[in-house]
Amino acid sequence: MSAVLALVIFIVAFFFIATEKVDKVKVVLVAAGLMTVLGLTSGGEVFFSEHEGIDWNVIFLLLGMMIVVGIIKGTGLFEYLAIWAAKKSKGRPYRLLVMLMAITAVASPFLDNVTTIMLVAPVTVVVCNRLRIPAQPYLIAEVLASNIGGAATLIGDPPNIIIASRAGLTFNDFLVHMTPIVVIIFATFVVMSRWIFRKAFKYDPRYVDEVMALDERKAITDHRLLVRCLVVLGLIIVGFSLHSVFHVEPSIVALVGAGVMLLVTKVEVNDVLKEVEWGVLVFFMGLFVMVSGLGHTGVIENIGTWAADAIGDNYFAAATSLVFGSAVLGAFFDNIPYTATMAPIVEGMAAGADPATADALWWSFALGADFGGNGTAVAASANVVAIGIAARTGHPISFWQFTRYGIGITIVSTVMAWVYVALRYF
Amino acid sequence: MQARDIAVQVPTVTMNDPIAHAIQVMALGRLPGLIVVDAEQRPRVVLPGTQVLKLAVPAAYQEDLALTRAVDEAHADVFWEEISDMRVGECLGTHTVRPVTVKASSTLLEIATLMAQQRSPLVAVVDDAGLLAGAVTLDRVLSALALTRPDSDD
Repeated sequence: MSAVLALVIFIVAFFFIATEKVDKVKVVLVAAGLMTVLGLTSGGEVFFSEHEGIDWNVIFLLLGMMIVVGIIKGTGLFEYLAIWAAKKSKGRPYRLLVMLMAITAVASPFLDNVTTIMLVAPVTVVVCNRLRIPAQPYLIAEVLASNIGGAATLIGDPPNIIIASRAGLTFNDFLVHMTPIVVIIFATFVVMSRWIFRKAFKYDPRYVDEVMALDERKAITDHRLLVRCLVVLGLIIVGFSLHSVFHVEPSIVALVGAGVMLLVTKVEVNDVLKEVEWGVLVFFMGLFVMVSGLGHTGVIENIGTWAADAIGDNYFAAATSLVFGSAVLGAFFDNIPYTATMAPIVEGMAAGADPATADALWWSFALGADFGGNGTAVAASANVVAIGIAARTGHPISFWQFTRYGIGITIVSTVMAWVYVALRYF
Repeated sequence: MQARDIAVQVPTVTMNDPIAHAIQVMALGRLPGLIVVDAEQRPRVVLPGTQVLKLAVPAAYQEDLALTRAVDEAHADVFWEEISDMRVGECLGTHTVRPVTVKASSTLLEIATLMAQQRSPLVAVVDDAGLLAGAVTLDRVLSALALTRPDSDD
């Protein structure tokens, strides 16, 4: 009975999260409250069980990186790079598109996708306005590049953070297993974009002078702040790559990095804390409590057992299902709650496999969930943020306009990911 | 002293008014802010002057000071031409905060605290039905404070 109750609460909450009829933070708080008040999970489990409750490693990793990003945002680096790219392209649309995509894809593995989009999109709009060309294709291309690039590292995309923590995968594991296929898929996307966005490549050279009038050097006012930020960010990345050697959790690396960055940049703590997306952190916590209710009442175990029975020894079929299933479901639902829910189920599926095969299942899951984020306009937070910026700046992107491009890229990237999994792990 | 004693009538705008009109209303009326009302004269938003100015800044620049620094002077001088055709509602978006309002019977302390808390030099005064009955400006509050200052003994 309690399992049915937990499942009903979860499904209703998931419905409201997916349809965005109610603020998703409110939804998870109510659902998490119901799970605990009705005894479907216990307080001890929620707060103190790494696997059954709130995964504090995920929460504090996000918090640390939000502080780091909040400080880097103030340097003007991204505005500098985007304007520099626009001027280097001399207004030629395809070159402009590729350079903006490259900036986004290179930044996304190290900064969260939402921030990357929030930094690059406004410059994109200004440049497009000056060239009198529609900004929509450029914004969509940046989002797709960001979601692809973010898949490369442990910290690049929230699903990766959840998966890494659950599966015990390290930063270097992601570099070794995810980055190669991400690079290949991004290169393919760059080539495809010449054809996909071909209608957006008409421009009038008379307006190029207006782009050249932008002065990217003025975007950076405090060079010392920029240098310090880059040095600390570099050290944080080194810290991530060594966290398994020193047996330090990634969240500790992020928190220490955030502290060091606060110290050396001497920015006001309160100003930086305003940049932290507290709502997102609460959303994650509530989500973990919701999933905890499913775990405590045996729902996840039952689904895991059913999945394990269904796949038997055919782990390639399981990996195939995870790549394509996660891409499809991740495309229609926000891929963060999807990953949080599925992670314990994948853990159950991987339990009977040898370590190498178990890891293959996790990579299949990560690839599907990450690339599914490109599928529709609502599949990832960066998509929603970009569409919001587009609407506010007079370049509205409809659900279908985004999805038309997104689905194509998702299909190509998911098939390539599946081939990669098949060739590398089976 | 209550809100009704220091309230004044101020011109208002609606969500459908062009931004240019809204700025004109504020400038000509020398108002410290603007009250945006709905068709029934119910306050929807109370905007301090700086936030009215924000309406005139194109969205691409609003959260990005670094980007504004990169804009050349010729374009910077005419920044608001980009959105002069847009309407108040379009610039405000969907996520508006609750309007800063007081009842006609609110005291000077309530009004002063609300203004300070909300950083708004303008407060809408509403009747029992929630309809706009007037507005209290920062000037009026400061004048009232000055008038009610206790006489010093020396």
